[in-house]
Amino acid sequence: MIKARKKKLNAKDLIGQICIYTALIIFALWVLLPFSLVFLTSFKGIKEANSLDFNWWPKEFTLQGYEKVLEYDMGSAYEGVPLIISGFINTLWIVIPSTILGLFSSAISAYAFAKLRFKFRDKMFSLLLGTMMIPGTILLTPTFIIYNEIGWVNTPLPLMIPGMFGAATCVFFMRQFYLGIPTELIEAAEIDGMSYFGIFFKIMVPLSVPALLAQALLGFIGGYNDYLGPLIYLQDPEMYTLQIAMNQLKSYFAGRNVPAMMAATVISIIPTIVLYIIAQKRFVEGVATSGMKV
Amino acid sequence: MNLEKLYNKRTKKKLGQNNSGMLMASIPVVGFIIFGMLPLLLALAMAFMYVPGRGDISRAQFAGLENFKEVLGDHMFWKSILNTLRMAISLPICIVIALIVAYLLTKNIKGRSFFRGVYFVPYVCCAVAVSLMWELIFNQNHGIINSWLGLTRETAIPWLTDSDTYTLCLIIIGIWSGTAYGIVLYGAALTNVNKSLYEAAKVDGAGSFRCFFNITLPGVSPTSFFLLTTGLIGALQEFTRPQMIGGGEGAGPNNDGLTIVFYIYRRAFVYNNEMGSAAAAALILSVLILIVTAINFVVSKKWVNYD
Repeated sequence: MIKARKKKLNAKDLIGQICIYTALIIFALWVLLPFSLVFLTSFKGIKEANSLDFNWWPKEFTLQGYEKVLEYDMGSAYEGVPLIISGFINTLWIVIPSTILGLFSSAISAYAFAKLRFKFRDKMFSLLLGTMMIPGTILLTPTFIIYNEIGWVNTPLPLMIPGMFGAATCVFFMRQFYLGIPTELIEAAEIDGMSYFGIFFKIMVPLSVPALLAQALLGFIGGYNDYLGPLIYLQDPEMYTLQIAMNQLKSYFAGRNVPAMMAATVISIIPTIVLYIIAQKRFVEGVATSGMKV
Repeated sequence: MNLEKLYNKRTKKKLGQNNSGMLMASIPVVGFIIFGMLPLLLALAMAFMYVPGRGDISRAQFAGLENFKEVLGDHMFWKSILNTLRMAISLPICIVIALIVAYLLTKNIKGRSFFRGVYFVPYVCCAVAVSLMWELIFNQNHGIINSWLGLTRETAIPWLTDSDTYTLCLIIIGIWSGTAYGIVLYGAALTNVNKSLYEAAKVDGAGSFRCFFNITLPGVSPTSFFLLTTGLIGALQEFTRPQMIGGGEGAGPNNDGLTIVFYIYRRAFVYNNEMGSAAAAALILSVLILIVTAINFVVSKKWVNYD
């Protein structure tokens, strides 16, 4: 009797389950098909890629697209190094130092806002929160003029230096995190004669490694994918970041060699996707906490 | 004597805390003053100035309301607002899809982490690659869509170069790349919806649809509100995709890809002598964003549930 009931329920559940799986699989295909199209096209010959007679799978499997992209070294920063690789190296040079230093600045100030008492603390914090309200677009022209006056245009400095001072959003999330760490821990360290900087480095940082990693990953991806900033400030192809180099590759290859363009696209997204696969949990955590500010 | 020593020690400690605290906290604040506040003041001033060349501020002149007159009298500016709003249609669609997908993921299914992992991938994908990807799909001469529709060279639809289909394509691209963020946030929000409410509803005989509309939807309303607010602020500043797909300074067929930020970018960095009017346009955009966000907050009192 009980068994029969269970079976009946299962039948009803089964239909529901099938519907859910169908929906989830369709959505997964919707996300993945464009990727696989790009990937497969990058291995096609020029003629095949240009034909309306479309095949998913390349008829003749060729690496000419990758070869052409890796041969293109016009404007590359290093002799004999393809533009796309020089763009990637430039991106790393710009993004990694400013991400790490910016994270440090944000974290140490978040710790101060969360755990220390000092003059103007609340005023400073609301000032910082105010920055989140300023739309980036309004700063586009005045920052250009300021950087132009101090000779930063056509250098990577405008893309590096401001970020090193930390970001308001990052301060906010790290502060939330540090508020959750018991104050007794800090008081105990204080009694032991540890300085406030010592407490930050020896207690707060080790406790917040996962949160810091999540923020670092988000910061890195943001910098890696930044387009408007490098577009405005980097005029010399030798300084191009990967995203801007892609722009130049597009004007060279689009229409001429579709597989090469797709090969460049594959190369450009591989680093972020690999990073995502390695640190998926951290990523999702970082993103999920970004929505908790409401 | 002892008391005095203790008192001194305590004030010293307080002072130490005060100084180190100030020092630590001030790094981002100083950064904000230099790289945020200062440019903001300059932006306000520039909107009322004529700035010659590519931002030659030393030869700038006061221009009164000329910049605003020029921008507001430019039909391209109004078109850019319309274009931006049309592309923003993808936002509500993204939010609805994200909620549905996140809801389905809470069901007892196998391979949940696989699906979750896949759905998040577009989020880490840069807008440049996304643009190139979809240009391949929508391509007139060898794109998969025209091929699926069985079209020949003569009948092929120029998806991205025809004004009739361009905006639709950009909305589709927006949906593809915009759902990932919402799925993650809703995923976190759905696990926080009070479980006992569902059990109570079950006892009362409510079906799963009623549960969804009466418990789930109000339960995640703060997340919906967050996605709507930040999404609108982002959508009003859309730039990369239309710029990449238009190709260089061109803004798509019939200038349909000219978003507000694209318009500002062109004035500031493509044209000469227009930094001032670009600043004026940016100021108008900021006011627009402020108004939209304020309306959002006021309306939210009616539907967002913070229990």
